[in-house]
Amino acid sequence: MEQFKKKYVEEAVDLIADLEKSLLELERDFENKNVIEKIFRVMHSLKGGSAMFGFDLIDNFTHHLESIYDNVRTDKIKIDDELLNITLDAVDHLKSLLNEENTINPNFIHTHEQKLEIVKQISNKVLTKNTVQNVQQKIINSNYRTYHIYFKPDVNIFKNGTNPLFIIDDISLLGFSKAFPNYSGLPEFSEIDVEGCYIAWDVFLSTSEPFDLIKDIFIFVDSECEIKIEELASFNLMNDDNFCSFLTQMYNDGYKIDIGLIKSNIKIIENDFINKEISVLDNNRNENVFINREATISSIRVASEKLDDLIDWVSELVTIQARLSLYAEHNADSEIGSIAEEVEKISRRLRDNVFSIRLIPIENMVTRFQRLVRELSHELKKEIVFETEGTETELDKNIIESLNDPIMHIIRNCIDHGIEDSETRISKGKKVVGKIKLKAFYSGTSVYIQISDDGKGIDISKVKKMALEKQLITDDSILSEKEILDFVFLPGFSTAQEVTKVSGRGVGMDVVKRKITDLRGEVDITSEINKGTVVTVKLPLTLSIIDGLLVKIEHSHFVIPLASVDKCFEFKHEVFAKNKTNIIYAGSEHISYTYLRDMFDMQDITPEIESLVVIEFNDTKVGMVVDSIVGQYQAVLKPLGAMYKKQDIVSGATILGDGTVALVVDPIKIINKVIDN
Amino acid sequence: MEEIKMSVNKTNEIKSYLSFRLSEEIFAANVYKVLNILEMRTITKIPQAPDYMKGVINLRGNVLPVVDLRIKFGLPITEITVDTCIIVLNINLDGGSIMVGALVDAVKEVLELNDEDIEPAPSIGTKYNANFIQGMYRVNENFVMILNIDHVFNTDELINVNETADKLNTEEIKE
Repeated sequence: MEQFKKKYVEEAVDLIADLEKSLLELERDFENKNVIEKIFRVMHSLKGGSAMFGFDLIDNFTHHLESIYDNVRTDKIKIDDELLNITLDAVDHLKSLLNEENTINPNFIHTHEQKLEIVKQISNKVLTKNTVQNVQQKIINSNYRTYHIYFKPDVNIFKNGTNPLFIIDDISLLGFSKAFPNYSGLPEFSEIDVEGCYIAWDVFLSTSEPFDLIKDIFIFVDSECEIKIEELASFNLMNDDNFCSFLTQMYNDGYKIDIGLIKSNIKIIENDFINKEISVLDNNRNENVFINREATISSIRVASEKLDDLIDWVSELVTIQARLSLYAEHNADSEIGSIAEEVEKISRRLRDNVFSIRLIPIENMVTRFQRLVRELSHELKKEIVFETEGTETELDKNIIESLNDPIMHIIRNCIDHGIEDSETRISKGKKVVGKIKLKAFYSGTSVYIQISDDGKGIDISKVKKMALEKQLITDDSILSEKEILDFVFLPGFSTAQEVTKVSGRGVGMDVVKRKITDLRGEVDITSEINKGTVVTVKLPLTLSIIDGLLVKIEHSHFVIPLASVDKCFEFKHEVFAKNKTNIIYAGSEHISYTYLRDMFDMQDITPEIESLVVIEFNDTKVGMVVDSIVGQYQAVLKPLGAMYKKQDIVSGATILGDGTVALVVDPIKIINKVIDN
Repeated sequence: MEEIKMSVNKTNEIKSYLSFRLSEEIFAANVYKVLNILEMRTITKIPQAPDYMKGVINLRGNVLPVVDLRIKFGLPITEITVDTCIIVLNINLDGGSIMVGALVDAVKEVLELNDEDIEPAPSIGTKYNANFIQGMYRVNENFVMILNIDHVFNTDELINVNETADKLNTEEIKE
């Protein structure tokens, strides 16, 4: 039983997190039916589980919450800020209810009863004015509208690399749709250009999305296509069987869509529809709920050690596979060659799959930050919006977990110290509403998380004064801005005038830095007075296997992460030897390059023809000259260990098929070095 | 040379020392620190590392850093011969334990020593030399310097053992 209980708690934690996320979503759009349904469903599941495993307090509490949201979804009560606040508070309370130790604490029970009382009161409060008139209004104005979209792409659309079918797909994602191809534009067989597109489409779409969203789909093609969008009805036509069969029938008869005929048909349906809908709503209001696909939640829980094991084995497999490929290369037997190739293909896919299992999108932790911003900005009476970008970026689960606190702290700093209050913002001529943005993206073998605010920024002179006071520097020290800003990562260093409840004690940024260093990451801060502060956290992808480009200098092999490789060129040695500027014209642009031989102190005989590998990061391109390019290689990353912790150009090593060691270079470090020179 | 594996029972009680030659000097380390002796193999140099950090090798699928003790100790470099070996050592570093390879000119023998066989290191030489040298053991006319291996690998600095060696030799002549 204990073990089931544990499972339940795990599940409940997930459900509560889901609930929190949906509630915050709801805050943005009180009318979003889907979200309300989801909230109700999650509450329902939570209630079911808790009753089964003896968490009676949760059962009872959620029961009342559920009733509230049952009323919400049947329009008996309206969502407002207050209700949302109470619900969020209740969600927090649910979290503490999960801890059974809490439930024996009498103080806790007391708070529980208070909270329960609040929830109960609301659940009994029901909007009484619930007339048919009201409902009818609701349906006619219901979110769904039906459109007819005529889309005739330009004959040459394929030449731009656009696939019109993707556009049709995009439309269908907006709601319920039916698309009919229209062949009327097809020329005589002898005149057909095989690369031309002659088909037009008639799409019927019922959607709750705004009209602009439909228009947005065509944003890239509207200059070269004929597009007509017309509203046919202000309700969902596509779930009307009569209409659908009418459409199909008409199309099958003559492969033509006659809009006039359709419109007259709609008039009839429209009247039917309203009458029918009302009766349906009145009769089985409660049965109308679970239409959404419940099946999307299909997952299993696996102990993470098992996954670690799996990853270790896959790493071994990849190393062995490299040996096999090498052996096959040196043996003329074509059979073994093809086997080796197959094994390589399979192990690559296996590797990708296994690693993706451990990865979860950053999205998962964003909810907590949203919550933080919401609450703290209320408390401090500041208006702040929290924006996110790239939250689909995935990171190892363990990293995400340990990242929570540091990022939370950074955001807290933004809210408390960064963003000014409304009056100050107005007087500075800024937008009243402050903005905090979390942006995540991949670069090379790292994930970057950038937290920026548009607040007052960090006053460098203040930091410098502080550093002087603390005798970290002397009057005549010459420091760059970056060096000065780095002081904020020192323990006990705070420029906040007053210590607030939130921050300002100077414990914080040093902890942030330490925690991120523990994850093998880096943290960097830039700031501009009155423009804002940007904190960048760089983390390694824990992926211990990367796709790399294997290159050779002398007898040493190096691996360059493929993700950062842009292009490769070959040049005669004299080209580099005669070049004094370290800038070369390659492809169609000038690229500054570094001679890796020099950088790595390897000055022996250079080959006649050398290769230039162009790497790219943040739109900066830099070339690296190597002897030759061996090819693509899956590198199992091995750390260089503590003895080489000061080494920075090389981020790790990997074992090649023949047992020798190749070094994995860090492209970003090389780019920085080249730029510094 | 085949790989020789040392079996280790109770670490603290072991009074066996593996002696090895660096240039012309003989050194020894407690065998409980020694995991393995490998024959010389290709060492992959890591760019922009100190000279004594010779590079890394592949030790059964893992990457092992190799330190050239001759450079670390400021001794003349001799050519690689069939006797050149890499001794794999288990080092306590910053609270954790790691494996390090030490490049030596030759592995000599395992000495069974009692505490009384080990003479204290001479009190001359720079201050920290005493840290690295646990003691001396006299074999015929020569001294074996017994190293405190953990300390040797815990510093980034070069260690000047010549001073100590010179002093020993002059003392020897006096006798």
